[in-house]
Amino acid sequence: MPILEAKALRKIFQLGEHTVHALDGVDFAIEKGEFVALMGRSGSGKSTLLHLIGGLDRPTDGEVTLAGMQLSLLDDDKVTLVRRRNIGFIFQFFNLLPTLSTEENVALPLTIDGKDLNAYQEQISTLLRHVGLDGRRHHKPDQLSGGEQQRVAIARALVTQPSIVLADEPTGNLDSKNSTAIMELLRRSCDELQQTTIVVTHDPRAAAYADRAVFLRDGLIAKELRFKKSIKVEERLSAILKTMENLPERN
Amino acid sequence: MMQNILLAIRSLIARPLRTLLTTFGIVLGVAVILSINITNRSTLAAITRLFSESSGRTNLVITNADLTLGGFDEGILYRIETVAGVDAAVPLIQSQTLLADDSQRNEFNVSFFGIVPGGLLVYGIDPAKDTLARDYKLEAGTFLTEDLNEFHIVLVREFAEENNLQLGKSVTIRTPAGNARLKIIGLISREGPGQLNNGAFGVVPLDTAQKIFERPNELDQVDILAAEENRSPQELDALKASLQDRIGVQYSVIFPATQGKRVSQMVSGYQTGLNIFSIIAIFAGAFLIYNAFSMTVIERTREIGMLRTLGMTRWQVMKQILLEAVTLSIAGSAIGIGLGILLARGLIRVTEVFLAQDVSDVHIPISALLTSAGIGILVTLLATVIPAWQAGRISPLEALRIRGNSDDTSAIQRGLRIGAAVMLVSLIVIFLIPIPEPFGSRINNMAVLGMMFGGALLIPASVGLWERFTRAAIRRMYGREGQLGSRNIERSRWRTALTVAALMIGVAMILSIRAVTIAFDRDIRSWIDVYIGGDLFVFSSIPMRNDLQAKLAAVPGVDAVTPLRYLDIKRVKPDGETEPLALTAVDPLSYSQVTSFAFTDSEGDPADFLAQLAGGDTIFVSSVLAEKYGLKQGDILTLKTRRGERDFKIAAIVVDYYNRGMVVQASWRDLKRYFQVNDASAYLVQVEAGADETTVQQQIDKLYGKRRNLTIQSNQTLKSSALNLIGQTSSLFDVLAFIAMIVASLGVVNTMTMNVLERTRELGMLRSLGMTRWQVTKMILAEALLIGVIGGGLGLLFGLFQSRVVISTVNSTAGYDLTYILPTQGIIVSLVIALFVSQLAAILPAARAARLRIIEAIQFE
Repeated sequence: MPILEAKALRKIFQLGEHTVHALDGVDFAIEKGEFVALMGRSGSGKSTLLHLIGGLDRPTDGEVTLAGMQLSLLDDDKVTLVRRRNIGFIFQFFNLLPTLSTEENVALPLTIDGKDLNAYQEQISTLLRHVGLDGRRHHKPDQLSGGEQQRVAIARALVTQPSIVLADEPTGNLDSKNSTAIMELLRRSCDELQQTTIVVTHDPRAAAYADRAVFLRDGLIAKELRFKKSIKVEERLSAILKTMENLPERN
Repeated sequence: MMQNILLAIRSLIARPLRTLLTTFGIVLGVAVILSINITNRSTLAAITRLFSESSGRTNLVITNADLTLGGFDEGILYRIETVAGVDAAVPLIQSQTLLADDSQRNEFNVSFFGIVPGGLLVYGIDPAKDTLARDYKLEAGTFLTEDLNEFHIVLVREFAEENNLQLGKSVTIRTPAGNARLKIIGLISREGPGQLNNGAFGVVPLDTAQKIFERPNELDQVDILAAEENRSPQELDALKASLQDRIGVQYSVIFPATQGKRVSQMVSGYQTGLNIFSIIAIFAGAFLIYNAFSMTVIERTREIGMLRTLGMTRWQVMKQILLEAVTLSIAGSAIGIGLGILLARGLIRVTEVFLAQDVSDVHIPISALLTSAGIGILVTLLATVIPAWQAGRISPLEALRIRGNSDDTSAIQRGLRIGAAVMLVSLIVIFLIPIPEPFGSRINNMAVLGMMFGGALLIPASVGLWERFTRAAIRRMYGREGQLGSRNIERSRWRTALTVAALMIGVAMILSIRAVTIAFDRDIRSWIDVYIGGDLFVFSSIPMRNDLQAKLAAVPGVDAVTPLRYLDIKRVKPDGETEPLALTAVDPLSYSQVTSFAFTDSEGDPADFLAQLAGGDTIFVSSVLAEKYGLKQGDILTLKTRRGERDFKIAAIVVDYYNRGMVVQASWRDLKRYFQVNDASAYLVQVEAGADETTVQQQIDKLYGKRRNLTIQSNQTLKSSALNLIGQTSSLFDVLAFIAMIVASLGVVNTMTMNVLERTRELGMLRSLGMTRWQVTKMILAEALLIGVIGGGLGLLFGLFQSRVVISTVNSTAGYDLTYILPTQGIIVSLVIALFVSQLAAILPAARAARLRIIEAIQFE
């Protein structure tokens, strides 16, 4: 039983006089503990797929089932609750609250959920150690580097122990050194915490940390690559690059 | 250029709400300035015109020097006419009377000028001479003939119509001897002298007037027409001097315009109040415009950054924003002018009520139109300069960059230092440096404003403190998300500070107005209680013979009766100058049976004060006078009487606001002795214990009401009508405070909308992290609530402070003896309003935040 399943997903946007088929019937599933990279050029539909899976938008057609819940049957407040407790988001621009400290930013989803933070002190400490920010608990975002801010965001996504973490271009705003560190952290979270993760990226180096690379093109899944745990990152990267070359653009 | 203007207009249309708000700011400013200008000019014009038209071509006016009731002997006419340069001397006798018709009862008008008698004003004139001075516009019938003994009258047409009086028929008017029947031979229009007494005006032949009003050979006034060649200002000055020389000091020779001037002085206080409106409107308008344009700039940061990358210079960016401002200010000013003219009509109606004077035609001077539109455009430009400059400063990179919005900490530190310094200086000025009047009170008021300004500068540095202070309360109200919201207040501190300051001013205004009103109200109430003592107030618009006292006392149910006489007199100052005063004469013995005086700053036994007053050559003076001239018990005051200048010993100081406090009290004996008056203006009646007030009132009315033209009012009615007037004055200020609060609330709307706009992506993140729409709403409301709390708290602080300063200023300058009463009700009301306004105003931005589409929000830059 997959933790997340999308069936025949279609999303049509009306842009003025143009009808855009952002997703044109996508079937997609992910097992618990799996690490998947969604790849594709801009306009391929990868971000739309992420939004639909994350309950940020509703499909024109089709169904998303997350941890046994059919999202299309839920109203906005219920979907919001699903996001709050079952999904962790990581954004390209980190999006931390500037008034809150590292610790408070990490605890934000618990705060929103009205949880007693005292009961979570230990978990938060463990998470901060996990992301390597133990010494920066009381810093405000403007005192942190970009890489550090993104690590805070990762801790924030993990704090509710969500069914799935969705990362939208998490390395898009970082240099290569920080990008590597972030992807290694996500990889480690998957391995050590069995955290199911989907990363949307157009960077093949980032995608190389995943167990599976899904290639989207024109709103459809064009190709999938599965890697065994034993395969090294470099080998994954060359396989991904080769696939990208062999996926000609289609109009 | 045309291209740029079109671009500006398009960008204005693209943001209709913002444009509307800005326009509202401009319209508000322009309309208020214009309408007040129109009202002031129209009122002033109406008053001066009334006086100049009713005195017509008169160059000089001769009256009795002491304006005690009496006129003077007409024998003086000959002496006047023989003065070189006098072309004509026009005699006049005037009397206030009533129609004998029962339907025309006394009207008792309480106005800003005191008690205005209703009824009919009759001029006794010599038509042959009078028409040289005044233009009577005959509408029907004929004017008075040369025969000065005819029982004829010419009335104002509207007045005749209102009272069903017909040309050719006769009319009966009240006279001291009873009634007089006069034939209506002509009707004049309500122009020139026809406007006098609000049109309730008539003329009769001079001799007839003297006869029926029992004032044989007496005149009240002689109007002088100077010979053609003597009308230059210098010549008139010379003529005035030679006239004065000829007729002696017991007469005064004045220019007719000085009468109007006296009234204008009285009006000026009211107009000052209106002018404060103008200033507040300008500030309020500027605040709204500034806010709206700042918002535009924030919203368009990316667009402007893009334009900069395309090669637009800073100056070009600024110019584009300023061009939008100019375009809008022209449209706003045009609407403002239209609205201003409408508003002026309403305001003039209010003025008419305050002044008990018709302001018939509205003056709309071109210069006022230009001034108000000019101010509208100028203020708009000034208010836009800072946002335009900020727009110019936007770097091309910002088109691409994520927006970080940390405040400039050095500016906050600077604000803290300057604010503290300004507050310190203000405090020193208020409490440590005594400044002599007339500057003292003004400087004190400036210092209070300084305190508020300093306080506003401290806001950015102190918001954190407020947040910590209110954390628990806000959390209880809006939960954890509320706490997240209230912490956001630390982000755009200057923007917050501006809105907080607007709220603060509104709250401080409400509070100080309340405090001052309460203090005045209590003081005046206690004065009115003794001033209108007893149970019934009996008065008439024609003087009442003093035999009425005994008659009223004999009415069943009446316990005691005491007469009052109001008189206009003059006081002689030590330097020889004179000053008009009011005199209230009382009969100490009967007065003490009905009511009492409110003595203040007087040492001794009140009964002894009354005994001294009864003894004669003694007066009481009002606290206002005592304060103004530093008069004390035992001092001597010199008054002009009919028997020359007399010294009176001050037996006591009393609280009395009659004639704005410019009043002294004397005994009935001195009234008769020195002023040769023995009739009463009013009687205070004390009803026996157990007797029904209304029955006694009806009884008096039945016995003497019609026969003696009396109006009997219960003191309750009278008091409430007097207090009503006070209420009306303070409600004028309430309107002011209301406007301030509206503007502040628009500020909250603007600030919160800007915050929501700026934090769109962050809000999108919070929503994707699982914040519900309601939680987002609560977060925004909590932030606004904190703005309300800070604004309310600071407003409370400064409002209490301000009201104390205002009251002590009033006490020290105007001689009032106001006690400061903590305006508990005002505190609660203003705080509730501040919090309520902050929440109401935040609903729209909060809804906007809750409605954000998450995907668009997280992609928003």
